[in-house]
Amino acid sequence: MKLINKLLLSALLSGVLVTSCDTDSLHDMNINPQAVSEVNLNFFFTGCELGAASGGDAGDNRYIDWRTNIGMCSYAIQQLANAGGGIAPGEKYVSDGSTFESNDAPFEFMYGTELKHLAEIIKQTGPGGYDEGNKVNLRSASRILRAFLFQRLTDYYGSIPYFEALQANSGGTFFPAYDKQKDVYADLFRELDEASAALSASNPDDGFATADIIYNGDIAKWKKFGYSLMLRMAMRVSNVDPASAATNVGKAVTGGVFTSNADNVWVPMAIGPSEWNNQNGISRAFYPGDGGQPSFLSKTFVDWLKGTNLADVSDDDPRLMIISGGIAEWSPTTWTVTNGNPLEQKGMPNGHTQSTLDILEGTTVDQVATYSRMNFLMLQDDEPYMLMNYGEVELMLAEAAERGIGGVSGAQAHYNAGVKASMQMYTPYDASLTVSDAAVTSYLATYPYGGPKPALEMIGEQYWVNHFLNWWEAWSNWRRADFPTLTPVNFPGNSTGGTIPVRLNYPNAEVGGNPNFEAGSTKPNVWTTKLWWDGGPE
Amino acid sequence: MKQRYQILTVLLFFVLTSVTALAQKTVSGTVSDPEGKGMPGVNVIVKGTSSGTTTDTNGLYNISMSEGSNTLVFSFIGYSTQEAEVGTRTTVDIAMTEDVSQLNEVVVTALGIERNTKALQSSVTQISGDNFTQARENNLANALAGRVAGVSVNKIASGPAGSTRVVIRGAKTLGSTFNQPLYVVDGIPMDNTNFGQSGVWGGADQGDGVNSISPDDIQSTTVLKGATAAALYGSRAANGVILVTTKKGSSRKGLGIEFNSNFVFEKINDVTDFQHSNGNGGLVGPTLDTQVAKTPDNLTEHWGNWWGLQGWGPKFDGSSVVQFDGVSRPYSYKGDNFSRFFETGTSFTNSLAFTGGSETQNFRFSISNLNSKGIIPNSGFDRLNLSLATNSKFGKKLTLTAKVMYSHEDAKNRPNVSDSPGNASLAVYYTPGDVDINDLKGDPNKLGGVPSLQDQQDNGITIFDGKSPGEEMQVSNNLWTQNPWWVAYQFRNDDVRDRVIASGQLRYDITDFLYAQVKGGMDQYTKKGTQLTPEGTGYQRGGNMTEYENRSQEINLEYIVGFNKTFGEINVNAFVGGNQMRAKGEYLAANGNGFNVPFFAAINNAAQRNFSYGISETGINSLFGSAEVSYKNYVYLTATARKDWFSVLNPNANNIIYPSVGASFVFSDAFTGLPSWLSFGKVRASWGQVGNASSVGAYSINNTYSLGTAHLDRPTANFSSGGNLPNPNLKPFTSTELEFGFDVRLFDNRLGLDLAYYDQATTDDILNANISRASGYTSTSVNLGEITNNGIEVLLTGTPIRGAITWDVSLNFAKNNSNVKALIEGQDRLAGDEPRTRTVRIQHIVGYPYGMITGLKQMTSPDGQLVFNADGAPLTDGKYQILGKGVPDFTGGITNTLSFKQFSLAFLVDFRSGGEIYSGTNVRMTQAGFTKQTLQGREGEAPLIVTGVTDSNDDGTYEPFTKTLTPGEAANYWGNLGDRAQENFIYDASFIKLRSLTFGYSLPKSLLSKTPFQTLSLSFVGRNLAILFKNTPNIDPESNYASGNSQGLDYFGVPPTRTYGFNLRATF
Repeated sequence: MKLINKLLLSALLSGVLVTSCDTDSLHDMNINPQAVSEVNLNFFFTGCELGAASGGDAGDNRYIDWRTNIGMCSYAIQQLANAGGGIAPGEKYVSDGSTFESNDAPFEFMYGTELKHLAEIIKQTGPGGYDEGNKVNLRSASRILRAFLFQRLTDYYGSIPYFEALQANSGGTFFPAYDKQKDVYADLFRELDEASAALSASNPDDGFATADIIYNGDIAKWKKFGYSLMLRMAMRVSNVDPASAATNVGKAVTGGVFTSNADNVWVPMAIGPSEWNNQNGISRAFYPGDGGQPSFLSKTFVDWLKGTNLADVSDDDPRLMIISGGIAEWSPTTWTVTNGNPLEQKGMPNGHTQSTLDILEGTTVDQVATYSRMNFLMLQDDEPYMLMNYGEVELMLAEAAERGIGGVSGAQAHYNAGVKASMQMYTPYDASLTVSDAAVTSYLATYPYGGPKPALEMIGEQYWVNHFLNWWEAWSNWRRADFPTLTPVNFPGNSTGGTIPVRLNYPNAEVGGNPNFEAGSTKPNVWTTKLWWDGGPE
Repeated sequence: MKQRYQILTVLLFFVLTSVTALAQKTVSGTVSDPEGKGMPGVNVIVKGTSSGTTTDTNGLYNISMSEGSNTLVFSFIGYSTQEAEVGTRTTVDIAMTEDVSQLNEVVVTALGIERNTKALQSSVTQISGDNFTQARENNLANALAGRVAGVSVNKIASGPAGSTRVVIRGAKTLGSTFNQPLYVVDGIPMDNTNFGQSGVWGGADQGDGVNSISPDDIQSTTVLKGATAAALYGSRAANGVILVTTKKGSSRKGLGIEFNSNFVFEKINDVTDFQHSNGNGGLVGPTLDTQVAKTPDNLTEHWGNWWGLQGWGPKFDGSSVVQFDGVSRPYSYKGDNFSRFFETGTSFTNSLAFTGGSETQNFRFSISNLNSKGIIPNSGFDRLNLSLATNSKFGKKLTLTAKVMYSHEDAKNRPNVSDSPGNASLAVYYTPGDVDINDLKGDPNKLGGVPSLQDQQDNGITIFDGKSPGEEMQVSNNLWTQNPWWVAYQFRNDDVRDRVIASGQLRYDITDFLYAQVKGGMDQYTKKGTQLTPEGTGYQRGGNMTEYENRSQEINLEYIVGFNKTFGEINVNAFVGGNQMRAKGEYLAANGNGFNVPFFAAINNAAQRNFSYGISETGINSLFGSAEVSYKNYVYLTATARKDWFSVLNPNANNIIYPSVGASFVFSDAFTGLPSWLSFGKVRASWGQVGNASSVGAYSINNTYSLGTAHLDRPTANFSSGGNLPNPNLKPFTSTELEFGFDVRLFDNRLGLDLAYYDQATTDDILNANISRASGYTSTSVNLGEITNNGIEVLLTGTPIRGAITWDVSLNFAKNNSNVKALIEGQDRLAGDEPRTRTVRIQHIVGYPYGMITGLKQMTSPDGQLVFNADGAPLTDGKYQILGKGVPDFTGGITNTLSFKQFSLAFLVDFRSGGEIYSGTNVRMTQAGFTKQTLQGREGEAPLIVTGVTDSNDDGTYEPFTKTLTPGEAANYWGNLGDRAQENFIYDASFIKLRSLTFGYSLPKSLLSKTPFQTLSLSFVGRNLAILFKNTPNIDPESNYASGNSQGLDYFGVPPTRTYGFNLRATF
C-alpha cells in the first residue's frame, strides 16, 4: 500500500467514527424493557387501597402504624399502655430518639405513595390525561380515598401542603405552599360532594370491580363511603364552623350514609408474596418475632370495658373479651391465655416504667402475667384492615341529632344502632368474635342513652371504643369532642407539661427544607398547639 | 531537619569543588542490561562535568575524562543510575538494574499513553507495584492511603471484604452518591460498582469493584489527579482516574519464576475505654430524684425493664445476681469481652508468576491465592486470581498485546454495621461488664441459639421469652439487638464473584511516523450471593432468605490513529480516535419469608416467595484527539478534546465536549549556565474540563411505570423512578480545573520538590436534590449545584543518606478547600445521610465546605447559657445546627525507606488534620451507661452538677439554674444528652497513624549462587500498627460505616484492626 493510500484509509476510518456517534441504537438503549409509558390505572388503585390501610404500597407496611398509629395515638388516647420497649412517645409525652419517627412518618410516607398514585389516576383520567373521560368510577373512588387520606394528614399536623401538593411531576412544584386546615377541609367537602355524585352504576366498569379490593366495584357502597366520610369531616369541624357542619351533615344524610356493617370499609390483606407489601402493618408491629411492640391494654380502657362495677361481669361491655385476649403469654411460637376470666382482666396504667409499676403494685411486676393483652385473634399478619365503619356513622348521627346539626333527629335510636353495630363488627377478624343481639340489648339496658352519663359523653366514649386499632381517628375525635375524659400522665421530663399531645410536629426535613414552611405552617410547631377544628389557629 | 541541611551542604561542597580540569584519560567498556545483553543508548557522564556520551547499539562506550575525575555515572530511564569509581582502570563494565523508583521518568497517562514526565502538564503520580505487595491490603485502593498528595483514602469499618472511599482533590459533586475515581486496568475501564452500603437502618457493606485485583499483578498505579490529566476520559473522569498497569512478560533466557508468600495476622485494635465498675441493672424509684440503682432480682424484673443491654446497675459487689438466662452469677467485672468474641484474623496469600519469551513473543502468567479469615468469627474473604499477558510482534510493524485476568472472590459473612439488627459488633459493645459473652453461646451445636431442654435443665437455664431450642437466645426484651454468636454463626451474607477482564490491542505502524491502533476490552462479572436471617431471630422469627445474582458487563472498543514526527527541533505527537462503550447490568433475586420445614434454610423451602429483576443498559460513544508539540524537548504544548454522546440523556442534548490545554517548560534544560546543583526544573500550567453523568442512570429521564408486587392476585403499579422525579433535560455536569505546578530536583536528584496548585469548579452539578415530600417525590435531579475545590499539593522527596546506607524520604501533603456555591434554587441546604440516632444529618450548605455535620444542640438562652429542664436534663430547640465538617483540612503521609546491605526498612506514617466525626457509638454507649463519663452522678461517684438556666414558668424567660443531680436525674441527664445535645459527641477526627511498615532482609547473591534462587527475601510487614495520635474516645477516627457522600458518621462499625506478619519473596 502506498503511503497516500494509508493516509486516506486513516482519514476514512476517522470519518466513519465521526458520523456514527449519535446513533439511533444509542438512543434506543434508553428504553426500559421493564417499564411502560402508559399503565392500566386500575393497577394503581389496588395499591392505593392497600397503602391507605397499611402504607403497604410503600414497601414498609408497619412503619406508619407502628410509629404513629400505635407509638403516638394508641397511648395518647389511652387504649394501650407501655412501661418500656418499642416505640411509645404518646405514652409519656417524652421526646426521645423515636419521637422524630412518630412525628414524621405520616408526612414522610403518605404523600409519596398512595396520595401520589391517586393524584396520577385523577390526573390521567382528567383533562389532557391519556385516559381522559374514562374510568369515571375509578376516578371518583380515587377522589374519595384521597380525601380520606388528606383528612388524616391534616388532622395530624394542621396546615399541610394541599392545593400545590403532588404536582412535582406536572407543575414542577418542588416545595408546595402550606394551606390552612380550614381551607383544606372546605376543599375536601367539595371533592367528596362531586366525587360521590359522579359515582354511578351506569358508568362503564372499565376494570374497576377487579381493582377495587374494598368493595369489588359496588358503586352504591362507594357512594355511602363518600357521604359517610363527609359526615365524619362535618362533625370534625362542628365546633368551629357550625355552618359548614350543618350543610355537610345534611348533604351526607341526603346522599346516603352507611346502613349496616356490610358497608364497612375493610381492606383485605394477605400473607404474601411479600411480608412488607401484603401483610397487615399493625399486626406486624405487635407480632413477637417481628415488630414485637408490647401489646398491653391500658387500665383506662380495660376499666371502662369492665363497666361501672368492676367486680361484676354482668355490666361489662361485651367487647371486653373481644378486645382483650386475656392475660396471656404471646411468644413467637405460642399464644397461651393464663387468665381469661373477665373479672380478672387488668389493664396497665399509663405513664409507668417497670420500676414505678413495682412500687405501685408493691411487688416485682411480671407484666406478662399481670396485664391484659390485645386479642391475638385480631393481630394475624393477614388480618383485614378497617378504615371506616357503620357503627361510627350511627354514633355521629346520634351526636348530630343531639346537637341539632343538619336536621338529623332520633339521637337515641342512632346511638343504640351505633353501639350495636360497633359491637358486632369484629367477625371479619375472626368468626368467633361475635356479640349476640341479646348481649347488646342487655348492655343498652344497663347503660341507657343519656342515663349514667350525659349523652354527648356517652357518644364520645362509644366512638373511642369503636376506633380500637384506628387510633388516629380515636385521637382526632377525642381532641375535637373532649370525650372520653382522660387523665393525662405527668412523667418526669415530659415535653408537654403533663398534657396529652394534640397534634404531631412537622418533620425536620420540612422545617429546614421547605421554604414555604415558615409562612404557612401551624405554629408553634409543638405537640400542645391545638388544630383549627380543636379551637386553634385556622 | 537540621542534620539534613548539613548533609546537603556537605554534598554541595563536593559537587562544586570537583569541577576542575586536569589531564585526560580514556575509559571504555560495555553496559549490559539485567539479562546480560548490550544496552544501547545509556548515558555515560563523567561525574561533576558536562562531558558525556551514550552507548552504541551493542552497549559499548568510549569516554575521555580528566585525570582529576574518577567517577562515571551511567543512567537510563527506568534503570538505577549507577556510579563507578574508575581508579586506574581503563575498562569499566557495568550491568544496569531496573529501578522501579525511576519509572516515574516515564509515566502511563490517559488512554495508556506513556509520556515523559517532562511533558506532563498536570499532576500525575505513579506508585510502583511493590507498595501493594509487601504490607498488603485486600483492597488495592486501601494501599493508596497516605501515599499520594491529594488522594484521600478511607477504609470503611466494614470488615475484610468491605469497600473503600477514594477521593481525589476533594468531592466534585454533591449529587452522585459516590465521588470516586474511574479505575482503568491496562486501558480498560473497570466497574467499581458498590453493591450496597449500610445506612441509617444498618445493613452490610457489599464491597466494591477494585477488590478483584491481585496486588501481585500490579506493575504500577498512576493517579491522574487533575482535569487536564484525565480530560481524555471525558465524562467519566470528573473524579480523577486511577490507572492500573499490570505486569507483563519480557524477553529473557529461560523461564522466569517469581514466588511470593504473605502471611499476616489481623488483631482488633481495641480503642474503647469503658467503665468496668457497674453492670446490668437500672435505676428504680417512683420519681427521678428518689431512684436508686439496682440489679434484677429475677428474670421478670430483668425482662420487664428491658435490661440486659446497659450498665446502669450499682457498683460491682460480687453478690450473686440473676442474668439473662436465669443463671445467677457473681456481680463483678468479667473481663474483656472484645477479646473473647473477636478472633485473630489471618490472611495468607501465595502467588506464583512465570515470565518468558523472546524479542517477538513474550508472556507472563500468574496465579495468586488469598485466603483470609476476619476478626468476626466465621467470616472471611478468599480470592483466586489468574492472569495471562502476552505480547507478540509480527514483523516490524504489527504488535499484538493481549491480557486476560480472571478473579474468583468469595466473601463469607459480610458483617452488618450501623443499626442494630444483625450487627454482631454492636452486640459486643452492648454487653454489660458483669456478663461473660461466652455465656451467650447457648446451644454448643448452634451457637447463639436456645439450648436444648435437657441442657436448660442441666445448667439451670430459664428461657424467659418463650423461645424454643434452635431459636435465637436473646439477652433482653429488645428483639432488635442480636446475640452476637447467633449473628456470627447463624446469619449468612455470602457472595461469590467471578470476573473476567480481557483486553486485546493491535498496533500497526503504518509508517515510521504514523500508526493505527485498535483496542477492545471487556470487564464482565457475575456476583452470586446468599443472605439469610435465620429462623428464630428476634425481630424476624420466621426468617428470611434471599438468593441473588448481579451480572455486569462493560465492553469498550477504541480506535486510534496517531502521528509522531520530528521536524528539526520540533516534535509533533498527535492522535485522533474514538471509543464505543456499552454497559449492561442485570439483577435477579429470589426472596422468601418463613420456612415450611423448620430450620431448613433453603429458598425452595420458603413459605412466602417473591422475586425481583432489574436491568440497565447504557452506552457512550466518543471521539477524541490530542496534539502535543514540543520544542527541543523542553517546551511542550498540548491540547486535547473529547466529545461524548450519552444514551442516558435526552437525544436533543445528549453530547458534550471536554477540552484541555497545557504547557510545560523544563527550564533546567532550556538554559545553560544554571548552577549544577539544579538537576531538574520545570514549570507547568494547564486547564481542562471533565464531566460526569454517572448519576443519571439508565431510563431515568422519563417518567414511566413499572409493575409492583401483586396483592390478592391483582397487579399493582408504581412509578419506575420511585421517589426520584425524572428530569428529561439533564446534562452532564462540568468540572473545570486550572492547575499550576512547579517541579525541581536538586543535588543530583537527592532533593525534590513537586508543588501543585489547583482551582476547580463543578458547574451544572447534578443534584439529587431533596424536595418536599408533599410534592409527591423525595428528590429530583437537576443541573443546578456548584461546588469549588482549590488546594495545594506538595511532594517533597529527599535522599539524606546515599551510600552503604541509603535513606529515602518522601513527604506528601495536601490541603483542599471546598466550598458549596449554589444548590437548587431557593435552597441553601442539601440533606445527606443521617445515622440511626436520627439527631444529626450530613448537609451540604451554601457558603460552607462540602459535607457539614449538622444536628441538635442543647438549647441556649439569649445570653448564651445552657437551658435545662427542672430535672436537670438538657433541652433542645429541635433545630439542626452546624456541629462540624465531615472532611479533613489537611492530609498527607511520610514514607521513609532505609537500606543497609541486605536489610531494608520502610514505613509510612500518614495523617489527617481537621474535620470532625460524629460518634453514634459514643451516644449509645453513654445512654446505656457504658462510657466512663456516665459514672459521674452515680452513687459514690463524683457529683454531676449542671449549671445554666431553666424556664420554670414556661414563659420564655429564664432563671439561673444550678443543680446537683441525684443518680436518677444523672442517668436521665446522660440519656437525654445523647438525644438532645449532639455537640457533645462530635470529635476532632485528626489522626496520625503508623500505616505500614516493612522490614526486610534479602539473601546475598553469594549465598544464593549454589541454589536455584536468583533472589530470596524475607520481610516483616505490618499495617495500621499504631494510632499515634487521635482525639476520639472509644472509636477510631476512621470509623465511617459507609463510603458514600456522607462522611463523618460513626455508628457501631467493625472495630479497627492492625495486621502484621511476614512476606517471603523468591525468584528463580
